[in-house]
Formats: sequence, structure tokens, C-alpha cells
Amino acid sequence: MRLPGTRYQEHGWEQVRKLLGECSLEVLTPPLLARACDPATAAEALSAYVDDLAAALHAHARRTRGAAAANSYGDSVAELALALACELRARPADWSAFSAALAAEYGRDPAFWTRADAAGLLRKKLNDLYAVLRDKVDSDNYQVACGRPCSPNRIYAYRMLDMAHAQIARLFDNWEANRAQVGAILGREVTATPIEARQLTGIGACRAEWIERWSASQEGFGDGPGPLHTKSKRFEALKGHPEKIQAMLAEIGEYETLSATLDAAWMQDGEDAGAWLDDLDRVLGEVSAAPGYEEQEGEPRDWLDCLAPGLDEPLRLAIYLKVLGPADDSYPPHWLDPASGELPTMQALAARAGVSLPTFRKRRDEALERLRAAGEQG
Amino acid sequence: MNAMDRLDRKLRARLLLEQRVEDDRLALDDATLLAALAGTAPLTPAQAAALKASPLTLRRFRQLALERRQTQSAASDRAWRGSGGMLRAAAHGALARLATDDGWWSLHFVRGAAGWHSVLQLDPLAPFAAALLRERAQVRVTDGAGALVLGGALDADGELEAAWPFADAPAVHFQRQGARFMVQPGAA
Repeated sequence: MRLPGTRYQEHGWEQVRKLLGECSLEVLTPPLLARACDPATAAEALSAYVDDLAAALHAHARRTRGAAAANSYGDSVAELALALACELRARPADWSAFSAALAAEYGRDPAFWTRADAAGLLRKKLNDLYAVLRDKVDSDNYQVACGRPCSPNRIYAYRMLDMAHAQIARLFDNWEANRAQVGAILGREVTATPIEARQLTGIGACRAEWIERWSASQEGFGDGPGPLHTKSKRFEALKGHPEKIQAMLAEIGEYETLSATLDAAWMQDGEDAGAWLDDLDRVLGEVSAAPGYEEQEGEPRDWLDCLAPGLDEPLRLAIYLKVLGPADDSYPPHWLDPASGELPTMQALAARAGVSLPTFRKRRDEALERLRAAGEQG
Repeated sequence: MNAMDRLDRKLRARLLLEQRVEDDRLALDDATLLAALAGTAPLTPAQAAALKASPLTLRRFRQLALERRQTQSAASDRAWRGSGGMLRAAAHGALARLATDDGWWSLHFVRGAAGWHSVLQLDPLAPFAAALLRERAQVRVTDGAGALVLGGALDADGELEAAWPFADAPAVHFQRQGARFMVQPGAA
């Protein structure tokens, strides 16, 4: 399924999820898990986890699985996994939920990650973590792309409708073998090829009442109640509102048609990807020029001034490494490790700074915090 | 902009875009953001504070700003400021056609009973063709020395025709005058 701005709603998601699980199991060592469980060290553990995960994912970027396309925009599995890892770093609440789940497991059995089923347990918790995260990310992406409000739950609902349409289409195609359920969906007895089977040319042509009747019929024909007929409150907003369902089906259908004719309307980081910053500074400058605006004392005016003091080269490179990744066309050659052609690793930079890796990571994160605060000032 | 500035700008952009706020929402609607971008209605201090506090709104702002820049640059691509061309081969007497380097204009020479005629022709596929035809734009063709070859308004087919004004035949004339010519907007 494709919607404006979304990246994680197509077939490739399964591969992204698996790669995240596999790489996470590599990097979540028992000591790191112990730190993640402890609220006092959970934040530091998040930073270490994302660093190590990003390195593991980078290593996968050129392998077959990591390089495979994960959506129709051509984003690779490794790229999408990496982007999700970066999102996690920016969303400590999601990490807290994960670490609380780990802590609960630890409370039940302090040796749980040495058990035989530990990998499976961890994988399950990681799946939960990233399943929530992908819908948060895509609902944000949707809002950014089209300016209309959205929520993770709404993305989930779009996906349910997409799945329901696919099932209905399958039933229509095999109407003879599914005569009774097709009849229940159409609300009449089916004796010959239903005209609706030919009319259902795509999700935009799917009718809301078919979805409702299909969901109602699942209890009798499927593996349990359909999504609109469970006790869950998940799709409460859609129950009894065929017009809302119809509008969402139409939206998926319209975007599918539109995006089939557009090649990657995605805004890539082009030559002057920062040009919008000029617009931001101009727009914010016009505010301060308006009467009644009092400039706040002590606001850092020059953003780069914040970068310079006390920021030695290893720390500066560590920041670029974190934010822009190990390889970027704009890096001057003398920064790069001749062997890898990329920025030195965190380990190497920490050694150059003459401190331990955790200390160096802490310094980097503090410097990043200052920069983030300064970045908003323009 | 030097390489370090570009890098720092990229870093600043990334840092701004990477921030997340739990339960963030679009704090300002598109109309408000577009008016601020166009400069028609500056943000109020409260709106500016809302923009800074909501990374999601900031990302929407970026999207609108980039779309606006794309539209502007597409419009400026469509604007035409003039096309130049060269006499390609050492043609003797038999020069029938010259084309501009961008390929959008051609200049034909026809010998009639009363002497040479030149016909300027605009390729209808040129990105600026629609605008020029709509406006029945005035264009002028000059030789390498800046002398007027022909000028006037394009007709509905994107053509302009006039008698050849020089004593020498087209091939000889262009060779003597720097072997270059220009098609430019403006009255003769």
C-alpha cells in the first residue's frame, strides 16, 4: 500500500523488520541489555544501541538482503532500517517502553537472556517496538507530505482496509469456491459470475459495504471475527461509518494511480538541500521585525559559534558521523580513514581524543544537545 | 558557499529535522505557512514559537519551501532570455538554414525573384514557446556585429518573415560578421 509520504507500508517491510531484529540481536549483548533494563542507564544504553545498530546496518547496506528494494520508491531495506534506528534515538519514549518490557522480563527471571528462548523473546519485543515506530514515522511522513492530520492508528486502519480489499478481490476471483461468503459480501445469492468481480479493478472501486459485510462474514467463514467486528477499540471510528471507509479506500486508490505515473516524488537531498533554511531564517526574521516582538536576551545568534568553542576535531567528526553517517560527499578527504574511505569509527575517534568510548559518546551527545538547541535559533 | 559552510548547513538541517516531540501535531496550517513564505502575512511571535516547538510543522514548512523553490525554478526555466547560434560550416552561397545552439530557433533563407528572404521559426516544443505565442512576443535577430537582420512580432505559427536587408548573400554576410547570430526578446 502506498500513501503520500509513507515509506514503510509496502511488501518490503517484512525484510526491514527482520534485518532490524537480526542486527539488534547481534548488538544487544548481555551487558547492554542490563544497562537498558536499569532506568538510570537506559538513556545511555539507547545511544550505544543505536550507534552499534547503525554500524551493523551499514555493514548490511551492500549485501543482497540489505540492498534489496523495500518499497516502490527504491529505498533499500538497509536504508529504511537505518532511518528507523535514527527515529528511535529521537523518540526516547518508545525506547522506555521497550526497556520497561525488558525490565519486566528481567524481574521474572534475572537470567532470562542466557535462556534458550531468549533470542525469540527479544525478537518479539523488538518487533513490537519497531511495529509501533513504523506507523508513527509514516503518520508523520504523511502529514509532512500532504499537510493533513494523521495518526499511527489511522495508518493502521488504511492498512487494514488495504488487506480487506485484497481478500475481497481474492474471494471474487474464486467466487465459485467461495459462493456463500461472496454472497454474504454482496448481500444476495450468487449463481453466476458476479458483475462486481469485473468491476473491482482496484481498491478505489471497492465499496465500503463490502468491507463491512466481509468483516461481519469472517466469523463464519474465516479464522475469527473480522477487524470491524472484534471487541477491540482499534477501528471504533470506522464502525458504522461507511462514508469514512469509502473516503479512505478512495484515497488509497487515488494515490496508487497518481504514484504509478510519478517517478519518486520523494524530495531527495539534492545539491542545495539546505536552501529551505534560508527560507526559515527569512520567515523567522520577519517575525522579529514585526512590532511588539522583544528579542530574547542571550539567544545565540550565530549558530556556528556554538560549534567552535571546545569542540576538538575528534568530537566534531563524531558529530558528523552520528548525524550524516560515515560517508558523505561533502567530507574533506583528510578527515577520512584511508583504509575504509569513510570517517573513522567512534572507537578510533575516542582513542584519538584520549578518552574511553562511553565518555566520548557522552561528550558527543552533550555537544549534540547544545547544537540542537542552537539550531532552532537560526 | 564553501565546503565547510555547506557541511554545517547540512548538519544544522539534519539536526532540526531529526527532532521528535511525543504526540507532535501540525501546529500551523498550510495557508499560514505559505503566506509566511510568500511574505504576505508574517508569522506572529506565537506562531513562530509554535513552528519552532513542533518539529513536524517544521518538516511541513520545509516541504512547502522546497516545493515553492521548485515551482519558481521551473518558471524561470520556462522564461526565455535569448538564444545564440553559429554559422557551422564554411557555406558558400547555398546557406539555407541556421539554428540556435539550444535548438529552439531556426533561421531559413529563401531566394525569391526580388532577392533573399529570411524566415525565423520557433520550435513549438520549446519550453517558452507557449508564453511567447500567447503574448505574440516581439523578437529580434542580430548578426555578430549587432546589426538587425529581422525583427517584429511572431505570428500564430511562431514565425516571422522579412526581406534580407544586406547587400551580401546570407552565407557571405554572416561569415564577414563574426559567423554568429542572436535571437532575443524585444522590439526591433
